[in-house]
Amino acid sequence: MFELLETLIQRPNFVVFVILFLWGIYIMAAHPNLVKKLIGLYIVQTSVIFFLVAFSAKDGATVPIIQAGAALVDSMLYANPLPHALTVTAIVVQIATLGVSLALVSAIYRKFGSLDEDEILEQLK
Amino acid sequence: MSSNLPVLLFLVPFVMGVSMPLLTTKRRSWCPNITLGTFGVMLLLSIANLRVVLADGPIEYAFGGWAAPIGIAWLNDSLAAIVVLIISLVAVITQVYGRIDIAKDLQKSIPYYTLILIMVSGLVGIIFAADLFNVFVFLEVVALTGYALVGAAGGKSLVYAFRYLLLGSFGASLYLLGLGHLYVATGTLNMADLAVRIPELMTSTAVAGGLIYIFLGLSIKMALIPLHSWLPDAYASAPSSITPLLASTVTKVSLFAWIRIEYSLVAPGVEVSHVPVLVLLEEIGVIAALIGGALALIQTNLKRMFAYGGISHIGLILIGVSLGNTTGLAGGMFYLINDAVMQASLFMIAGALVYYHGAHTLEDLRGVGRQSPWLTGALIVAAVAMVGLPPTGGFFGKWNIILGALEAQHYFAAFAVLASTLLTLAYFLKIFSCWFHHPQHAPSDPLKVSNALRFSLGAISISMIALGLMSDTIFQFLIESITNGGV
Repeated sequence: MFELLETLIQRPNFVVFVILFLWGIYIMAAHPNLVKKLIGLYIVQTSVIFFLVAFSAKDGATVPIIQAGAALVDSMLYANPLPHALTVTAIVVQIATLGVSLALVSAIYRKFGSLDEDEILEQLK
Repeated sequence: MSSNLPVLLFLVPFVMGVSMPLLTTKRRSWCPNITLGTFGVMLLLSIANLRVVLADGPIEYAFGGWAAPIGIAWLNDSLAAIVVLIISLVAVITQVYGRIDIAKDLQKSIPYYTLILIMVSGLVGIIFAADLFNVFVFLEVVALTGYALVGAAGGKSLVYAFRYLLLGSFGASLYLLGLGHLYVATGTLNMADLAVRIPELMTSTAVAGGLIYIFLGLSIKMALIPLHSWLPDAYASAPSSITPLLASTVTKVSLFAWIRIEYSLVAPGVEVSHVPVLVLLEEIGVIAALIGGALALIQTNLKRMFAYGGISHIGLILIGVSLGNTTGLAGGMFYLINDAVMQASLFMIAGALVYYHGAHTLEDLRGVGRQSPWLTGALIVAAVAMVGLPPTGGFFGKWNIILGALEAQHYFAAFAVLASTLLTLAYFLKIFSCWFHHPQHAPSDPLKVSNALRFSLGAISISMIALGLMSDTIFQFLIESITNGGV
C-alpha cells in the first residue's frame, strides 16, 4: 500500500491524467445534456494529449535544433520532437471533432427543441 | 509513376473532394458525375496498382525520401492493393446506386459529395499506412466524415450520428492513449520497427496496456460486440444512398487496421500474464459472431437485421485472423474482402425496398418477390453469399476459417463459425418466408426499376460470384503475402 502511494506521489502528471480521463468519462456517461457530454468528451481527449505531453517532458531540455558544428549530440539536452508533433496533430483532430459535434448538436436542437437526452429519446419513440 | 500509385490513389479523391465546391458552384448537377468519375479513375488506378504489386512485390513508399523508421512510410503490399481495389469497386457501384435512391435535398448538395470523396481518401490512407499515428489520423478523417454522412438524413439520424460521434471519438482517444503507451515503451511508431522491438517487451505492462487500449479503441470503430451499440441505429437511419458504402467499408477497414497491428505485434502463442492473447481475441470473435447472429435473428426492421449480420461477420473475421496460422489468416482476410461486397449488396437491396415499395420491416415485404424480379435475384445471391454456399466468395472464406480452426485444433471456434452460419441461414429464411408470401393485394405487374439500379445490383452480384470463382488465385497470393512476412 505504502509503495503504491509512493509511486503515485512520484508521478503527479500521470495521476492528473488518470483523474481527468475518468472525470471526462463520468461526465460523458452521467449527464443527460448533450453539450455537457461533449465537454466530457473534450476532457477525455485533452487528458490523453496531456498524457502525451507529460511523458515527453524533459528537465532542462531545449528545442531539438542541432547547432551547426556541434560534433557530438547529447540527446539529454534536446526535447523529443515526436510526441509534440503528435500532440499538435491530436489537437487538430480534437478541434475538428468539436466542430462536427457542435454542428450536430445545433441541428438536434433545431429539430427537437431540446438538448436533454431523455426528452429527445422520448420524442424518438 | 508506378511507385507513386498509392499516393495517387489517396490524392485523387482528396483533391476532387476539396475542389468540389470550386468546380460545381455554378453547375450543381455535375456533383454526382464528378464523384462517379473520380471513383472510376480510382478503380483504374487500383487495378494498375495491384498489377504493379503482383509483378514487383511489396513496395514501401517513403514520404519525402525519408526512409522509415525516421520518416513516415506507407506499405503497398498485395493485401492492401486488393482491399483498395475492392473499396474502389464498391464505391463505384454504390455511387451508381446512390444516383437514384437519394433524398431531394442531398441530390445537389456539394458538402455531401465532398464528404463521400474525403471519406474514401481516408479509407485508402488507413489501408496503406504503416505507421500507428498515420492510422489514427486517417481513422479520424473517416470517422468525422462518417458522422456527418450519417447525420445527413436529418431527423432521427442526427441523434444517432451524435451517439456514434461520442463513442467513436472516445474510441479514437483510447487508440491515441494506447499508441502513447507503445511509444513510451519502444520509442517508435512504425509497425515494422515495432514488430522488431516488441517481442522482448511483451512482459512490460506498458506494452500490454497499450495493445489493450488500441484494441478497445479499434473495436469501437469496427463495432465489435459488446461495443457495437452505435452501429444498427446509425445505419438504419442514415441516408439510403450512402449506407451501402458506409456499411461495407468503415467497420471493415478499421478491422483491417487492427489485423495489420495484430499480425505485426502479437506473435502466435504470446502470453501476457498467462493469458494467451490470440486465443483471447479468438474467443471475443466467437462471442461477437454468435451474439451478432442471434441479435440479427430477432430484428424486424430489415436494415437493422443486416446491420447485426455485419456485426456478426466482424466476429467471424476476428476468429479467422486470430487462429495464429496462415490458413485462418488468409481465410479471415478473404472473408473481409467478401464481407465488404456483401454488406454493400444487402444495404442496396434494403434501400431499394424502401424506395420502390416503402418496405421497412419484414411485414412490409409480403409479396415483394412477385413484383421485383431484380431485387429477388440480387437478394438470393446475397443470401447464398452470406450463408456461405459455393460458388460465392463467402463459402471459401468460411471454409478456410474452419480449416484454420481445425488445424489449430480449436474445435470450439470451428463450431462457432458453423453455428453463426446456421443463425445467418435462419434470418434469411425469415426474410424469404415474407418475401415469397402470398401478397395481401392482388399481385400487380412487375415494377419498372431504373437501369442504374439494375446495373448496380447486377454488378455487385456478379462480383460476389466472381470473388468465389477467383478464390483460388486470391488465396494463393494472400498466403504468399503472409508467408513473405508482410500483412
